[in-house]
Amino acid sequence: MSSDLLATSAETWRDGPDKEPLPPVLTRMWEMGGKPLDERILGLRERYLVRQQRARDYFASTRSPKRGLPVAPSSAVVTFVRDLLATRRGLFVGLVVGNVLAGVSGLLVPKLLGNLVDSASNGGEVSQFDRIALVVAGIVVLQAVATFVARRVSVVFGQGVLASARERIVRFVLALPLSRIESSSSGDLVTRVTRDVQTMSGAARDALPAFILEGVLILLSFVAIIINSPLLALPTLASMCLLVFVVRWYLRRATKGYVTEGGTYSWINSTITETVEGARTIEALQLETLRQHHTDDDLGVSGQAERYTLTLRNLLFTTLDYAFQGPLIGIVLLGTWGYGHGLVTLGQITAAALYSQQMYGPIDHMIQILDRLQMALASTTRLLGIAQVPPDRVTGDELPEGDKLLGDDLYFAYREGRDVLHGVTLDLTPGERLAIVGPSGSGKSTLGRLLAGINAPRAGSVTVGGVEATRLPLPVLRTEVALVTQEHHVFVGSLHDNIVLAREDSDSGAVREALGAVGATDWIDRLPEGLGTIVGSGHYQLTPAQAQQVALARLVIADPHTLVLDEATSLIDPRTARTLEGSMHALLTGRTVVAIAHRLHTAHDADRIAVVIDGRIAELGSHHELLDLDGEYAALWRAWTT
Amino acid sequence: MMIDFPPRLRARTDLPTTDLRSPARFLLWLMRIQPGLIALGSLSGLVWFLPPALAPYAVGRAIDRGILAGDVGSTVLWCVALFVAIGIGTTTGILWHTLVVRTWLVTLYGTMELVVAKVAELGHVLPRRTPTGEVLSVSSGDSDVFGAVLEVTERTIAAFGAFVLLVWLMISTSPKLGLIVLISSPFLVASSFFLLRPLHQAQEVERKRSSELTGRVTDIVAGLRILRGIGGEETFGTNYATQSQLTRQAGVATGTWQAGVQALSVLFAGMLLVVLTWQGVHEMAAGRLTIGQLVSFFGYAVFLLWPIQTFFECVQRWATGLVSARKAVMLLSLRAPWLEPEHPAEIVDGDLVDPVSGLTVRQGRLTALVSALPDDTAALADRLGRYLPRSEAPPADVSSDEFKGRAAKRERAKRMAERAAIAARDAEVAHGPWGVTLAGTDLSAFRISDVRRHIAVCETSAMLFAGSLQRNVDPRGTATRDEAEEALRTACAEDVYDALPDGWQGEVEERGRGLSGGQRQRIALARALLAEPPVMLLVEPTSAVDAHTEARIAARVAERRRGRTTLVTTASPLWLRHADEIALVVDGMVAVTGTHEELLAGSSAYRDVVARGMETTPLAEVMSDV
Repeated sequence: MSSDLLATSAETWRDGPDKEPLPPVLTRMWEMGGKPLDERILGLRERYLVRQQRARDYFASTRSPKRGLPVAPSSAVVTFVRDLLATRRGLFVGLVVGNVLAGVSGLLVPKLLGNLVDSASNGGEVSQFDRIALVVAGIVVLQAVATFVARRVSVVFGQGVLASARERIVRFVLALPLSRIESSSSGDLVTRVTRDVQTMSGAARDALPAFILEGVLILLSFVAIIINSPLLALPTLASMCLLVFVVRWYLRRATKGYVTEGGTYSWINSTITETVEGARTIEALQLETLRQHHTDDDLGVSGQAERYTLTLRNLLFTTLDYAFQGPLIGIVLLGTWGYGHGLVTLGQITAAALYSQQMYGPIDHMIQILDRLQMALASTTRLLGIAQVPPDRVTGDELPEGDKLLGDDLYFAYREGRDVLHGVTLDLTPGERLAIVGPSGSGKSTLGRLLAGINAPRAGSVTVGGVEATRLPLPVLRTEVALVTQEHHVFVGSLHDNIVLAREDSDSGAVREALGAVGATDWIDRLPEGLGTIVGSGHYQLTPAQAQQVALARLVIADPHTLVLDEATSLIDPRTARTLEGSMHALLTGRTVVAIAHRLHTAHDADRIAVVIDGRIAELGSHHELLDLDGEYAALWRAWTT
Repeated sequence: MMIDFPPRLRARTDLPTTDLRSPARFLLWLMRIQPGLIALGSLSGLVWFLPPALAPYAVGRAIDRGILAGDVGSTVLWCVALFVAIGIGTTTGILWHTLVVRTWLVTLYGTMELVVAKVAELGHVLPRRTPTGEVLSVSSGDSDVFGAVLEVTERTIAAFGAFVLLVWLMISTSPKLGLIVLISSPFLVASSFFLLRPLHQAQEVERKRSSELTGRVTDIVAGLRILRGIGGEETFGTNYATQSQLTRQAGVATGTWQAGVQALSVLFAGMLLVVLTWQGVHEMAAGRLTIGQLVSFFGYAVFLLWPIQTFFECVQRWATGLVSARKAVMLLSLRAPWLEPEHPAEIVDGDLVDPVSGLTVRQGRLTALVSALPDDTAALADRLGRYLPRSEAPPADVSSDEFKGRAAKRERAKRMAERAAIAARDAEVAHGPWGVTLAGTDLSAFRISDVRRHIAVCETSAMLFAGSLQRNVDPRGTATRDEAEEALRTACAEDVYDALPDGWQGEVEERGRGLSGGQRQRIALARALLAEPPVMLLVEPTSAVDAHTEARIAARVAERRRGRTTLVTTASPLWLRHADEIALVVDGMVAVTGTHEELLAGSSAYRDVVARGMETTPLAEVMSDV
C-alpha cells in the first residue's frame, strides 16, 4: 500500500491532552464559594449565557447532521400534518364540539355557585338554595359525560393520526435508495425510527388533541371571565399578557435546552453501553480509569445542560406563580371598590376568584404541550428527512436481452476527485466463475457493487443484457443480478414472507420448491405451522444453518442469472458451511458467479481471477495462467502454499 | 458545603460507605450521602406550599373584613399579606425546585458512577455474573427511579406539613365543612381506583403491542439491505401497517379507560364543590359561617387534593423504588474473584509455560498456535493471560412477563442460586494456583494488574470505542505521531485513516460501527501493537482480512515484534511461515512442535489442519465443484 495515505498525518495529529469537555467558565463555578455577591450573580449570568450558546450550537448541529440522512424543513411538517388531518375532518369537528361542550359546562359551575352565594348573602329562601344546588349538580354530571366523550374522541383522533404517520414513515424507509443503504451505517436511521418516532408519537397521540382541548378551554375561560364581570377580568387579563411574553421567551429556549439535555443522556448511555459491552477489551488494555473519566466527563456535560433547563424552569415557574396568584389580589382590591360602588356582586367576586384559579391547570398544561409540540416538530423534520434522500437512479423501460454482464471502462469515486477505480473493464461470460482478489482498499468491493447495479459508475458503464444496470427498475434488476451480503437476517414474519421477497406473489408451491432446492424440506415439515410459522427475533428461532438456507431460498426465488458474492460479508458462515455446501451448490448451478474473495483458495478454483491493485486490474486469467505470469498473485500463492 | 451534581463519588472520602445489606438500606444510603440537601429541600418545599394554602384564608378575610364591611384599610392590609405570602412562596419555590433537582441528579449521576466503577472493577468477569441488559437497565432506568423516590420523599414531608396546617384551619373555621372536605378528599383521590385495574391491563396490552411494533421497525432497518436488495418492501410494509393498526386499537382501549378516569375525577371534584357550597350557604343562613369563610373553603378544597395525591404517589414510588433497588444491590454486590497475593512477586520477563497443555511460549520468539478448532486455541490464549474460561451466559433475572407472584419468587431464587454457583466456581479457580508460570513463577503470585500490564491477550474481535481515530489507536495519549503511524502501517490500516474525513481526528462511531469487520480488526491490532506489551497473545488477528493484506500484516508484525514474546493463534500459512516455533494443539494438548517446514514435512496431523484451512474455504468448495 502506498504510504501517501498518511500524507496528512502531521496536520491531523494532536499532541498533548484532549480538549476539556467543558469551557473553563463553566468549571470555575465550583470556586465561586467565598466571592462577593455581585461577582457571583455576574458569574451566574455569564454561565447561563454560555450554556445557552452551547444548547443553540448543539441544536443547530442536530439540524444539519455531518453524516447520515438529511433533515426536512419545518414547512414539510406543516404539509405532512395537514395531509393527515385532511382525511379526518369529521373527527376533528367532533373533537372541537365535544371539548366546547365539556368546557362550557365546566365554566357554568363557578358562575352558578357565585349566584348561589349571592342569593345566600341577600338572605334568599333556603329551598331556593337546594334547587340551585341540584341544578349545578346536574351540570356537573353533564360536564363529566361531556368530558368522557371529548376525551374518547380525542383518543380515536390522536391514535389514528399517529398510526397513519408512522406507517408513512416506514414507507419512506422502505423506499430509501439502494446505494444509500449500502454505503452508510444504519445508526442514524435506527435512532430516527426509534427515538424520533417515539417523540413524534407522544405528540400525535397526546399533545395534538390536548392542544385543541386546552386551547378551547382557555378561550372559553376568557369569554366566561369577561361575561362574569369585565371589571374583575382585568387583573387576570393583565397577568396573562405578562405571561405570554415570558412563555414565548421560555419556549424559544426550552426546545433547544431539552434537546441538548436529551442528547447528553444519549451520550452517557452510549458511553456506559460501550463500557459494559467492551468490559473485556477495557480490562485487557487497562482502560478502566480512562473509561470512568469518560463517564465523568459526560456527566459533567449533562449537568451543565440540566442547569440550563433548571434556570429556564425557575424563571418560568416564578412567573407562573405570580401570574396565577397575583390576580387574586387585583380581584379583591377591584372587588372592594366595585362592591362599594355597586358595580359587582359578591357572587361575581367568588366566580372571578374561582375562574382565575381554574385557569392555572389548562395554561400550565398548555405550556408543556407547546414544549412537546416543538420537540415533536424537531423529530418530525428528521423523520421526513428520510424521504428527502435524492433518488440514486432514473429507471427506463428497456428490458435486458440475454444474460451478459459487462463492465466497461469503470471509474468511481466516493469523494470528489478521489477515484478508487481507474478504468476497469470486465467482460463476463454467462455461466463463468470469476474471482476478484486484491488487498483491502484496492477497490474490489466497489467493483462488486458496480457490477451488481448498486452504485452507478462515475464514468463508464455496466450493462446487463445490453441495458445500463442502474436504468433497470429494481424489481427487474433483482431478478437479473443479486449482491449477496449479510444475508443471515431473518425477518419477523411468516417463513413464507421471509422467502418470497423478490417475487412477492409466489405461491406456497414455489416456496416449497425453493426450500427443497436448498435442501431444507426436512425441517420445515417439523415446524409448528409449516410455512405460516412466525419466525425472527422474539418468535420461533431458526438455527444459523436454517437461517442461511432461508437466505439461499430467497435467491432461488429471485432466480438471477448472475450472483455477486462478497466473501467478507457474505452468507457463508464457516461454522455452518459444511452442512450448506449442497445448498450453495444448488443455488450456484447454472449461474454466473462473481466472488470477491478474501481467501486464496476461493480464487484458486475460479475460471478466471482478477487481481485488483490500486483501482486497476493488474492481472486477469486462470489460476495457472497467473502462476505462469509470475506476478503479484503467483507470489502470494507461493507464500501461501510453501 | 452541600453535595452537588455530578457527585464524583469515587473521589469523596467523607461519605458513608455504600450500604448493600438490603434494598431499603440502599435507598436510605442514597439519602444519607446528602442529608443537608434532603433537610433543606423538605423545609423549602414546606415554605413554598404554605402561601397557596393560606391564600384562600387571606381572600376570605379580605371579603369579610374589607369588602363586606366596606373597610378599605382592612382590604389593603389583607392584600399586602397576600402579596407577601406569594412573594415568599415564589422565592422559596425557586429554592425548592433547585434543591430537589440537585437531589435527583446527585442520585441519578451517583448511581451511574457506581455502576461504571463496578463494571471497571469486574472487567471480563462481568458477563459471567449478569447479562449486560441488566447492568444497563440499572444505569439508565433504575437510577432515575431512585431520583424520583428521593424527590417524592421530600415532597411528602413538605405536603404533610401543609396538610396538618390546612386541616387545623378548616376544623377551626367550621367543623362540619371541615369534616366534609377531610373525609371526601381521600375518596376523591381514590375514586378512580376501581378503574385502575382494567386501565393497567389495557396499558399492558398496549405496551406489548407497541414494543412489538418498535421491534418490527428496527427489524426492517436491520434487514433493509435485503429488502432493498432482494425485495419484499410490500410484504413487510404491510406487515408493519397491520401491527400498527393493532397497536392503535390497543391505544384507543387504553385511552377510553383514561377518559373514564378523567371524567370521574371531574365528577367527584365538581360534586365536592357543589356539596360544599350547598352546605355552606345553609350554614351561612344559620349564621354559623361568613361568606368570606365559604370562599376560603373553596380554596382549601382545591388545595387539599394535592397533599393527598402526594401521599398516594409516595407509596407507589417507594414500591417501584424497592424493586429497582433490589436490582442495583444485586449488581453492586458483585465482586471480582481475584485474591491479591499477600507478597506479590515482581514480574520478570521469561518463558510462559502451561504444564497442563504442555505449551511453552519462549521469551523473545514468535510462537504460532494451530488447531483444527479455533475455539481451542483461543481458550488456551485466555488461560495463558489469566482470563477465566469463556462460559455460558448466566440466567437472566425473572421478568414480569414470564412469572407472577410466588412463582416469580421461586424462579428468581433458583436463578440467583445458579448465578451464585457460577461465582463460587470462579472463586475456586481464581483463588488457587493458576497453573501457568512466567519465568518459573505461577501467575497467581503476581498482582492481577501486573499480569495485565505484562501479558496482553488481544481478542479477535476487540471493541473499538466512539471517539477520534487517534484516541482509538492511542487511548492514553502517550504515543508520538511517529509511533502511531508506525503502528498503523504495521497493521496495514492506513486505508482506514484515508477513509475517515479528518484523518486522526476522524470520528469512529460507537463500537466501530460504520467500519468493516476487517477495518475494525486492523485498528484494534494497531492499538494493541502501540501499547508494546512485553508479551503479546494475538487471537486470530486477521480472520476478517483478505489474503493480500494478511500476508503484509504477518510479515510486518513479525518484524516489529522481533525479540519480544509474541504468540499468534492461526491456521494461515501466511503467518505460520514467520513463526519461530509452531505448536499444534489437539484436544487442548500440544501434540507436536516445530517450524512450518518441519511440521509440513513431518506431521500429517499438522498438514491436515493447515491444508484444510488452505483448501476448504466454504466458497472455494462450491466454486470448485460447480
